[in-house]
Amino acid sequence: MSHLTNIIRKELRELLTPGSVASVLIMVVLFAGLGGLIGGEVEKASAIPIVGVANASAGDVVLPDGTSWSVYDSLCSYYTASGVDPDEIGDYVVTMESTGPDGIIGEMSSLGLTSAILVDSGFATDISSGTRGEITEYYVFEPTGMFGTVSSTAVSMVIQAMSSDLSSRLISSVSGDLDHTFLMSPIECGGNSINTVIDGTAHPGVTPQDVSGQITSQTMMIPIIIMIIIMMVGSIVISSMGSEKENKTLETLLTLPIKRTTVVTGKIVAAALVGLVYGLAYMVGMSIYMGSLMDPLSSGVDLGSLGLSLDIADYALVMLSMFMSIICALGICMVLGAFAKNYKSAQTMTMPLSLLAMIPMFIVMFSGWYSAGPALQAVTFAIPFSHPMMAMQALMYGDVGLVVAGLVYMAVFATATILATVRLYNSDILITGLGQNGLVQRITGRK
Amino acid sequence: MAQSMQQGPVDALVLEDVRKSYGNREAVHGISLTIREGEIFGLIGHNGAGKTTTLRMISTLLRITSGRISVYGHDVSTEPDRVREIISYLPEDAGAYKDLTGRAYLEFIARFFASGDEFDEMVAKGIALADLGDRIDSKVDTYSKGMMRRLLIARAIMPSPKLAIMDEVTSGLDVINAYEIREIIRGIAADGVTVVMSSHNMFEVDMLCDRVGMIDQGNLILVGTPSELKERFGVGTLEEVFVKAVKGE
Repeated sequence: MSHLTNIIRKELRELLTPGSVASVLIMVVLFAGLGGLIGGEVEKASAIPIVGVANASAGDVVLPDGTSWSVYDSLCSYYTASGVDPDEIGDYVVTMESTGPDGIIGEMSSLGLTSAILVDSGFATDISSGTRGEITEYYVFEPTGMFGTVSSTAVSMVIQAMSSDLSSRLISSVSGDLDHTFLMSPIECGGNSINTVIDGTAHPGVTPQDVSGQITSQTMMIPIIIMIIIMMVGSIVISSMGSEKENKTLETLLTLPIKRTTVVTGKIVAAALVGLVYGLAYMVGMSIYMGSLMDPLSSGVDLGSLGLSLDIADYALVMLSMFMSIICALGICMVLGAFAKNYKSAQTMTMPLSLLAMIPMFIVMFSGWYSAGPALQAVTFAIPFSHPMMAMQALMYGDVGLVVAGLVYMAVFATATILATVRLYNSDILITGLGQNGLVQRITGRK
Repeated sequence: MAQSMQQGPVDALVLEDVRKSYGNREAVHGISLTIREGEIFGLIGHNGAGKTTTLRMISTLLRITSGRISVYGHDVSTEPDRVREIISYLPEDAGAYKDLTGRAYLEFIARFFASGDEFDEMVAKGIALADLGDRIDSKVDTYSKGMMRRLLIARAIMPSPKLAIMDEVTSGLDVINAYEIREIIRGIAADGVTVVMSSHNMFEVDMLCDRVGMIDQGNLILVGTPSELKERFGVGTLEEVFVKAVKGE
């Protein structure tokens, strides 16, 4: 074996520890899961939409050549062309009884529809007389992640397809006195014809994308900042514990006339203060960065006018949620740090914490709490760092219960981890490590 | 010390059938021992014999599996906080917080023991004991091993403990540093501080300790003054006593 090979073998043995290999494997699994999550959301958002159709128009459109065109037939053609079995079109195109805005909103709610179109009462006569017929869109706003807003675009595409279909029928049967603009776009939609329903109130001229985009631009940085703070504070505390053990300052500290709870509290409070300072610094920096990034994409929708703004009490809840999550992180770190043998092993110990911070960030950003399934919601809720990530959106939607439940959960979690830390500080494990622990010896068979 | 002699020797440290197990492995097998106030007691034994485990149990760092340890009448298991007020423990190869200066480190420790004028006096005493000159204001991570050890000795002695526990206190030090540290230990013992120290250096133990305890495989196999032990084994050095005792000769 050459000297170089000898050195390389030694380095590889040091670098490829079970902890580092496990962390890489977990990252692979995490990113694979993330890919699946994003793929699922995109697929869900771009799926063929289910749309309610309220037709207030009297009869079909009579074209110049005497033939007729109906909204329902055109929709059927579109869905059939999109691959929907003709026998199942009723599952996608839901005929509604109502012909007015209030009735439509109520019927959408009872039928569980998130999108519907209302064909104007004068639609057929307008078209027949050479005037653009109007179709109004209704969307029930649903909180989603980054990809969730594409669904309303899909319905708009259906209307555009209908417009094109009618246009081609008109052109083929045209008589010379019709306006070319009308022939190219005989159906009027978009603009104030779009209504987004929030808390049972229709907001004309606002699309779900506008609302979702505006909320995203205001809340997107929160999960990122929380993740950064958790990882940073966690790394500080665990590394501090690793250094204390490596330099044997911990043994000195533990034989000084101070209570173990004082040592634990001192470390947690100091790290929490550092975390808050870092948090504020990151918040300012990220606000500027995200502001410049999101401003061009901002829809300019005033969330306040839609009842989606936060007041002082809401911001206080968000800050409290952030603080509690930092305390939870520090509790976990103190437990993990107790097992760190030295500075190097302490770095590996930060891995579980990083994962716990990244998982809810991805879930909240890409899927969103409200559109996640029960299993994913359970996982998200169980991770304490999820709560400040979700708090701002939850408060915008008026879901104070979720935020308060999160605070209670975090308080219980933090208390449990701090008690566990004090217990560890009063045990031999802090000095001897896990190798001398009776239970570990029984499990591993080592003495 | 003189006052104690007049009133009769006080038991500074008492170990009664002390045992320590890690899982199924017993590292210390029922050690019993009494150390009197002002004594310098040396624990000797080869690596892994149980010296550090014993010192850590006395220092409240490790829990006792069975038996009892009392420091000046205070039980280490039931009154650990009280015990920590009267002991100082100096681990083998101990370090200090590297971002602090020597002075800041002594101040950090002194704040756990005193305030006001008493604090200032304690820090001044620590600085004098460390005897690092201007380097007391240098960062600890710039110190040599000898300077670090002097600082830590000063840290351990500065609060005037009743019992100082020192693990391999001069290990790895040059002749001058080791000599000066031994002189410091002699000085504090003369002032009435009880010292329990472990060492592999038999010459040092012979010169410094009033009594010696020899640990082998977790058992206390010998206790006595250096001269008693040498006489019992008919040899001239503690090193020879150690070898004969371990080999069962």
